[in-house]
Amino acid sequence: MSKKTNLLLQFFSSVKLTIVLLILIVLVFILASFLPQHRETAEVVKQLSPNAAKLFLFFGLADLYHSPLFYLLMVLLSFNLIICSLQRLPVSLKQYRASCFPEPSGLFENIPDNRVIFTDKEKAQASPILEACLREKYGNSKKSETERGLLFCVERRRFSIFGVYAVHLGILIMIAGAVAGSLFGFEADVNITEGESIDTVRIAHGKEIRKLDFSVRCDKFTVELYDNGAPKTYRSDLSFIRNNQVESKGALLVNHPLTFADLRFYQMSYGVSPETKAIMTYSDDRQKSAEIALTQGDFFAIPQYNIHAHVLRVEENVMQMGPAVKLQISASGKDFPLWIFQQIDEIAAANPGLFSQVPVFNPGLFKPVVFSLKRLERQYFTGLHIVRDPGVPFVAAGGALMVAGLLIIFLLPHRRIWVKIQESGTKTAIIVAGRSNRHSAGLEKQIAGLRDLIRRKIPS
Amino acid sequence: MSHETIFSWVTFIYFASFVLYLFQVVLDKNFWGRTASLFARVGLAAHTLAIFWRWKASYDLGIGHVPLTNLYESLIFFAWTIILIYLILEWRIKSRSAGVCVVPVAFLAMAYASIAPGISDKIEPLIPALQSNWLTSHVVTCFMGYAAFTVAFGCGIIYLVQDAIMGKTEKKTGISGRLPSLTLLDALIYQCATLGFIFLTIGIMTGSIWAHYAWGSYWSWDPKETWSLITWLIYAIMLHSQYVRGWHGKRMALFAFIGFASVLFTYLGVNYLPGLHSYLKS
Ligand code: HEM
Repeated sequence: MSKKTNLLLQFFSSVKLTIVLLILIVLVFILASFLPQHRETAEVVKQLSPNAAKLFLFFGLADLYHSPLFYLLMVLLSFNLIICSLQRLPVSLKQYRASCFPEPSGLFENIPDNRVIFTDKEKAQASPILEACLREKYGNSKKSETERGLLFCVERRRFSIFGVYAVHLGILIMIAGAVAGSLFGFEADVNITEGESIDTVRIAHGKEIRKLDFSVRCDKFTVELYDNGAPKTYRSDLSFIRNNQVESKGALLVNHPLTFADLRFYQMSYGVSPETKAIMTYSDDRQKSAEIALTQGDFFAIPQYNIHAHVLRVEENVMQMGPAVKLQISASGKDFPLWIFQQIDEIAAANPGLFSQVPVFNPGLFKPVVFSLKRLERQYFTGLHIVRDPGVPFVAAGGALMVAGLLIIFLLPHRRIWVKIQESGTKTAIIVAGRSNRHSAGLEKQIAGLRDLIRRKIPS
Repeated sequence: MSHETIFSWVTFIYFASFVLYLFQVVLDKNFWGRTASLFARVGLAAHTLAIFWRWKASYDLGIGHVPLTNLYESLIFFAWTIILIYLILEWRIKSRSAGVCVVPVAFLAMAYASIAPGISDKIEPLIPALQSNWLTSHVVTCFMGYAAFTVAFGCGIIYLVQDAIMGKTEKKTGISGRLPSLTLLDALIYQCATLGFIFLTIGIMTGSIWAHYAWGSYWSWDPKETWSLITWLIYAIMLHSQYVRGWHGKRMALFAFIGFASVLFTYLGVNYLPGLHSYLKS
C-alpha cells in the first residue's frame, strides 16, 4: 500500500474525525433550524440584498438539508464509518475468539482484602464446591491450572462485541435508504373533486408532469366534526381504475394511507370545489326521472322527447330568488335558454302571471316535460399526497438494526468473570474479578452476588 | 376534587420534596433525606393516580385518549417520568443527594404546565393527525429519554459541586461526605445518558414511523425533528469522546449539561421557531 493511501486510511479510520464531523453536522443543523428553509431557494433569495443573496446561494443556506455542504459531510461520515468498521473488524474477531486464559494482566491486582474470601478448607476440597457454585449460577465454566493457582472463567454474551457494528451498519443502511429515496422516489399533490378521477400528477419541487398507468377516482369525501367544531375524521373513498375496471377500492384516512401499484396515497387536505353540483329531475305525464347531478358545462338528453340540455350556469342565488340553474335547451332544431329555480312554486305564487310574462322561468315550457331543481350540493375535493419512496424499507431495516445494536451494547454487555483459588499461607484464598466491554454497574453486582454465593457454600 | 386539583397538590409536594432534599445536603441529618424521599414517593403516587383519572375523564367525555397529546399533558408526563426514573436510581444507589438537582426540574415542569400562558389544560378531542398508536409510543419513549437525560444532568451538577468542594484534598468531609463519590457520579452520568440515548433513538424512530403514516414522509426537517437529531448527535458525540479520548468526569458532566440544554430547546424552545410540530400552534 502506498504511503498516501495509508495516510488517507488512517485519516478516515479515526474516531476523532467522527467527532469533528458530528460537531460540524450539529452546527449545520442549528444554523438550518434558525434560517428559513425552502426547497424553492428563489423565494428566500428574492427578499435579500444582492450580496446576502450571493452568500446564501454559495453556501446553500436557503436549503441546507439539500446543500453540497451537507452532502459532503454525510459522504465523509459514511466513509469514516465504513473504513473505521473495516479496520476494527479483525480486532473484534480476535477478541471474539480470544481465550479466557491467560487472564488479562492486572486482573487480580488492587482487590482489597475484604473482597477476598479466605477459608480453612484445602484448595483441593474447595475447588469442586467452587466449580459447583459457578455451574449453579452460570452453567459451565472453563478452568486452567497455573503456577499461581487454579483459575476458573465464565463468559457471557460474547456476541455483544458486534453490537457496535450493528449500530454503525444500521446508520449506513439508513443513509443509503435516504439517498435511494431521494434519487428514485417522488412526491406529488393532487386535488380530486368528488366523482372525478385523475391520471396525471405534478411532481413536487419540479415542473414535471407524470402520467400514471391507472387512474384514481374520489367516490366520496367526508368530514366529521366533534361537538366543539374540531375535525374528527377526514375520509376519502377512492377507487383505483385500470383499463376501465375498478381494481381496488378503499377508504383513505389520515394515519391510514392506501397503497396501489408502488404508490402510497395520503389524506392531506380538502376543500370545497368552486363548482357547485345541481341535483335535478324531470318528469312527464307518466313518470319522474331519477336525480341527476350536474355541474356547469354538463350536457344531458331526454331522448324520447328529443331534448338536449346544456348546463350554462349553476347559481346559489339569482335575483334574491334562491338557487337556480340556467339551461340551454335544444328541441325541434331550436335553442332556448331556461332558468330552473329551486323554489319555483313560491316564486310563481308570489308573482301571478309570471310564466306568461317571463316564459324562460317556466319549468314546464317544454310540455309535457317539467324540470325541477331539487337542491344544490357543494362539492368537496380531496387533497391527496402521493409518494413513492423505495428507500423506506432500507431506512426501516437500518433503524431496526441500529436499535437492536444499541440494546445489545448497553443492555447485554459482554462479561467475563474469573475466579482464582490459591493457597495463601495456612489458608486458601478465593478471588473474584471481572471484565466487561462497558463500564457497568451490572458487572460489580454480578461479582458481589457470586462472592456471596461462594461465602455461603464455603464458610471460612 | 378533580385531577387538576391533584396536579396542583403534586406540584407543591415536589417543591416541598426539593426543599427537604436541600436540607439534607446542607444539614447533616438523614431525617431530611428520608422525608424528602417520602414526599417524592407520595407525590409520584398521587401524580400517577391523577394521570389515570384524566385518562378516564377523557373517556367520560366520549373522546377517550391517552393523556399525552398536548403541551400541558406532555409537561405533566415529563415530570412524572423524571420522578420515576430518579426514584428508581435513588433506590439502586442508596443515596439521596441527586434529588436536590433533579426534583426541582419536575417541579418546574409541573408549575410551568399550570401557570404558563397559552397552555390549555382542557381535555381536547384528538384531531385526525393525532389519532395514531404510534403517537403514544413516540411520546412515551421520547419523554423517558428526556427524563433520563434530566437525571444525568442532575448527577452532572452534583459532580461539578463535589469536584469543586473536594478540590485537591481528595478527602470527603462535610457536604462532600454526603454526596456520592466522583466515581459513582461518573458512572451514573454515563448510565443515564446511555439509557436516555436508547430511549431517544426509539423515540425518534417511532416518531418518524408516525410521520410516515400520517404525512407520507418519515423525515421532513421540521425544526423539532432537526433539534431532536441535534440532541441525539450531542449524546452520540458524548459516547464517542469517552471512547477516543477516554474522557471522564468533568467533561462528561459538561456534556450532560449541554445535552440537557439541547433537550430543553428541543422540547420547548423549538415552539418559537417556525414549523409544524409546535404544540403552541393549534
Ligand atoms: C451518527 C453516527 C454514530 C452513532 C449514533 C454512533 C453510535 C455509537 C454508539 C452508541 C457506540 C457505543 C458507545 C459506547 O460503547 O459507549 C459507538 C461506538 C463506537 N463508534 Fe460510533 N456512532 C456513530 C458514528 C461513528 C463513526 C462515523 C465512527 C467512525 C470511526 C464510529 C466509531 C465508533 C467506535 C470506534 C466505537 C467504539 C467501539 C467499541 O466500543 O468497541 N462511530 N458508536
